[in-house]
Order: sequence, then structure tokens, then C-alpha cells
Amino acid sequence: MKLLKTNGPQEEDEINLWRKMLEGNTSCYEQLVGRTYGLLFQYGCRFSSDREMLKDCIQDVFLEIWEKRNVLNPQIPPRAYLLASVRRRIHRVMQRNRVQTTDNIEKSLSDFNVEFSAEYLFIQSEQDQQLAKRITCVLNELPRRQQEAIFLRFFNDLERDEIADIMDIHPQSVSNLLQSAFRTIKMQWKIIVSLIHILAN
Amino acid sequence: MVFERYYFQMDRYNNFMLEDFIWDAYFRKWVLHPTRETETVWNLWLEKNPDKMDLVLRAAGIVKAVGPANVPFSESEKQLAVKSIVSKLNSSAEKNPSRSTAWFPKFWLQTAAVIVLMAGLGWIFWTWNQQKQLDYQRLVAHADVPLIEKVNTTGIAQTIRLSDGSAVKLSPGGKISFSSENKLKREVYLSGEAFFDITADPERPFFVYANEVVTKVLGTSFIVRSYPAEKEISVLVKTGKVAVFTRKDPAAVQKQRSKELTGVIIEPNQQIVILRESEKMTKSLVPSPQIIANGTAGYQFEFDDVPASEVFATLRKAYGIEIRYDSDRMNDCPVTAQLTDLPLYEKLDLVCKAINATYERTDDSIIIKGNGCGPTAKP
Repeated sequence: MKLLKTNGPQEEDEINLWRKMLEGNTSCYEQLVGRTYGLLFQYGCRFSSDREMLKDCIQDVFLEIWEKRNVLNPQIPPRAYLLASVRRRIHRVMQRNRVQTTDNIEKSLSDFNVEFSAEYLFIQSEQDQQLAKRITCVLNELPRRQQEAIFLRFFNDLERDEIADIMDIHPQSVSNLLQSAFRTIKMQWKIIVSLIHILAN
Repeated sequence: MVFERYYFQMDRYNNFMLEDFIWDAYFRKWVLHPTRETETVWNLWLEKNPDKMDLVLRAAGIVKAVGPANVPFSESEKQLAVKSIVSKLNSSAEKNPSRSTAWFPKFWLQTAAVIVLMAGLGWIFWTWNQQKQLDYQRLVAHADVPLIEKVNTTGIAQTIRLSDGSAVKLSPGGKISFSSENKLKREVYLSGEAFFDITADPERPFFVYANEVVTKVLGTSFIVRSYPAEKEISVLVKTGKVAVFTRKDPAAVQKQRSKELTGVIIEPNQQIVILRESEKMTKSLVPSPQIIANGTAGYQFEFDDVPASEVFATLRKAYGIEIRYDSDRMNDCPVTAQLTDLPLYEKLDLVCKAINATYERTDDSIIIKGNGCGPTAKP
């Protein structure tokens, strides 16, 4: 699949904006913030429901990037870098708050909460609606770290190495997470398909 | 060909099952973020594998349907957050400039921002004003019939004859537009000042559109003054009656259609002044009333020992202005005066002085105040 991988116009645009922004172009900076903000916010919401805290974190990340623009690499796609920075910042803030409030000590730092759902608008047949519904159930049952890897890989089109950077783990660990997730999905799939087949008859 | 390479590798999809498509990154990329390249590659593959069409459509439907539930986040909320970041960027750079030269571009950037903001506000105000004020250009542009335009670029008033026999005396700098073809309606669009002498035709009212104001007449002579730069529009009537209303009047359409003259009616030697901004109408007597034409017979203003009441009655008739007085008292006051060639108000000044009275102008009439000249009259 690597051979098929090409940068879409979206990604190229973002790399261009990133490069010009690092040169000090404020208009490109604003455009880049505008283009990536939604993604960063949605990703941040997987870790906390405190919207204002999330906005502060995203803002701090962008302001820090502006300050450090002379030392940042202009050749990298900015998406993964931004996601990784926002994730780190959110965890730091949450850790600090936790020390202050001394609650939720059991809760893991990397708690990633995602709820997969199906929109039946796109599906004609009832059989496929059932399939889509089952898929969401399987995804929602996956361990959180597998969910996060799946979320980044299949719903945000990020590469293995980028996911490793964002989740701050070894690339091989990303592969392992994705493989484990797929074993479950494939296994469940067989059950789902045969189940639906039986139900349909 | 760059696509040949991709197409060659596309063979691996030939034996794909539904679930394989659903979890294939390149397939998902095509379904979720199609580009020209993915469109071409996948369509080529589908042409070669038409039996897979149904499977691909099913997989695409499921890929589109299943996704992480997003938290509600409105575009306006996002814009606000982005603006907040960008604004902080400017202020933080001002506080601790990383380079000494950075101050100047920042200063100019902010100056430029202020200028752009001011220009923007100016533009908004201007367009708002434009929308608010209906000007000649807009009215002419929205006319439903082809119009002829006459512009008086000379230094003296020009007379324009309309097809119905009416005459328009256009003051220097004025413009009028009218249709020469439409026989049903008599309509003129005016910018500037003009004297209208309209031939009577009760079946076809004559309309003058001057910015926000509509003047409707059946047959009369009057002046409309409506310069684009002036804040007021005025209509002065010389003979006959005209109805005046504004375009924004809720009943404007009905007033326009009516066979009668409805709206604010003005009569000879009355004028109406409309403030364009508020569309407030003020009716008053013209500053120098003129004698209304009276067929062939002129008016006599040579009075020799006639009662003052008779003098006022003559003036009322001659100028078409309501003059109110106490006829009993004024019958006792004999007046001898030569008033020909004097303007109305000077005539009134002289008469009132002679009979020890005063007069007052209201918006549509003149009231004479005096105690009369009989033995009971007090000075």
C-alpha cells in the first residue's frame, strides 16, 4: 500500500501553509489554524469533555508553534505534529489538575473515549444497515488504545509512523495495536456475516 | 503514464471481499476524500471489473456510514477560537519581540489593519446608506419600461415637452427620465429641480418619482426639488392639487392606483418638505406665494376705502391660501391701499398695519389677529 500512497491536495496545501507560516506569514498561520482546528478539537474531546480547557490547550499549542517557528521542521506534514502536541498538552494539564483535585487517581492518562456510530443515510439495504451497526458495536468494544490507533489510521488517514509520534509509542507498537484490532474485527465479522445470513433466511 | 503504475497494482483488489474493501486505506481514501487521482484509478478499475460494482457501492456506503460520533462544534465557535489565537499572536509578539526589526512590520500591519477596518466600516455605512436612500439611479435601473433620459448640462432652465402635452422646465444640473412609449402611465423620474405643467387627464394620473418621494397629480403645475446631495425633497404647488407620499409608505401602492388623490394633499402656494433620512413630511406655505392664474381676468389690488374683510377675501382667492379672520370685526375696518406688484406677505404687512392687526402663518393658512376698528375696539 505504501506505493499507492500519495499526498492529496489537502495535505499538500497544509504543508505549504505550514512552510509559509514558519517563515512568518500570519495569513498562512491563520489559515492553518482554521483548517486544523476542528480536527484537533474533535481529537481533544476523546480525552476530556472540558471544552474550554481543550480550547486553551489548542491555543497554547498554536502560540508555542509561532514562538518556535524558527526551529521547527518546514518539511513535515503538520497534522501529526499538531495532534501530538495537543495530545501532550491535554495530558499535562489533566495531570496537573488531577494532582490539585486528587480524584480519579485510578483513571489512566491515555483514556481515549470514542463512540462509533452509523449514519444510515448512506446505506440502501437493510442487510447492510445491520452490518454497519454490528461494525460500530465491534469498534466500540475494542480496548481504548486499539480504538485510538484505528481512529487515527482509518478515520483520519494517518500513517503508522505518524500515529507512533502522536501516541508517543514505538511504530511497531502501532502495528501491534492495529493487528490486534483487526484480528477482533475479522473474527467478529465472520460471526456477523453468518448471523445476518441466518437472520436473512 | 503515472496511472498505469497504480492500475497495475489495482489487480490486488480483484479478489477483495466486502470487509476487505471496508478496511482498505486506499479504498477509504477514495470514498471519504476523493481526489482526481483516486477517482481516475478506481473508475478504471471498475471498468475492468464491472461485476464488482455492486460490492464497491455497498462497501462505500458502509465506509461513509460508520464513523466516530463527533462532538457538536459549530463553525462560529471555531471561528471565534481561531480569531482568539490570531489576536493573541499579535499582542504577544508586540510584548516580547523576538527580533528588533519585528516591531516595524507589526506597527505597519496594525496601522494597515486599522485603515482596512475604517475603510470596511465606511463601506458598510455607505452601502447601508445606499440601500436606505432610493436614488435616481436605482429607480431608473428598476423601471419596467425603456426610458429616455434628458440631462440639463446648460446654465439655464430647459423646457422638455412630454408626449401627453405636459411640459417640464428642468433646472440646470437636473436629469429626468421618462418613457415615450407607455401611453397608459405618465411617469417621470427626476433628479434635481423641475417645474411641471401637467395637462389635465383624470384617467391617467401623472407621477413624479424623486428619490424616496412620489408626487401624484391629475393636472396641475408644481415644482419638485430633489437633488442627490440635499437632505430634503420639496414639492411646491402652483396650481391645482397634488398628492405626495413616500415609496416606503405601507399604502403607497394603493395610493398610487387610486383614482383619487390620497396621501398628503398640497394645494397652490403650499409646499411639502420631506427629510430623506427620516421621511418626515412637513407641510407649509411657500416662502413667497404666487398669484394663481385666473383665466383671462386678473386680480385688482387697488383698494379705496373697502372693508378689510373684502381685502382678505380677494387675497385668499388670488393666492389660493386660506386666510382666516373675524369677518364681523374686519367689516368695520376700511382700507385704502395700492397693493399691486407687492409680494403676498408685504401686502399683508401693509393691510395689518393699517387696521392695527397682526397675522400668523400656520402650515397651511394665515390667521389674522386684530380687534377690529369699531368703537369697542381696544388698541
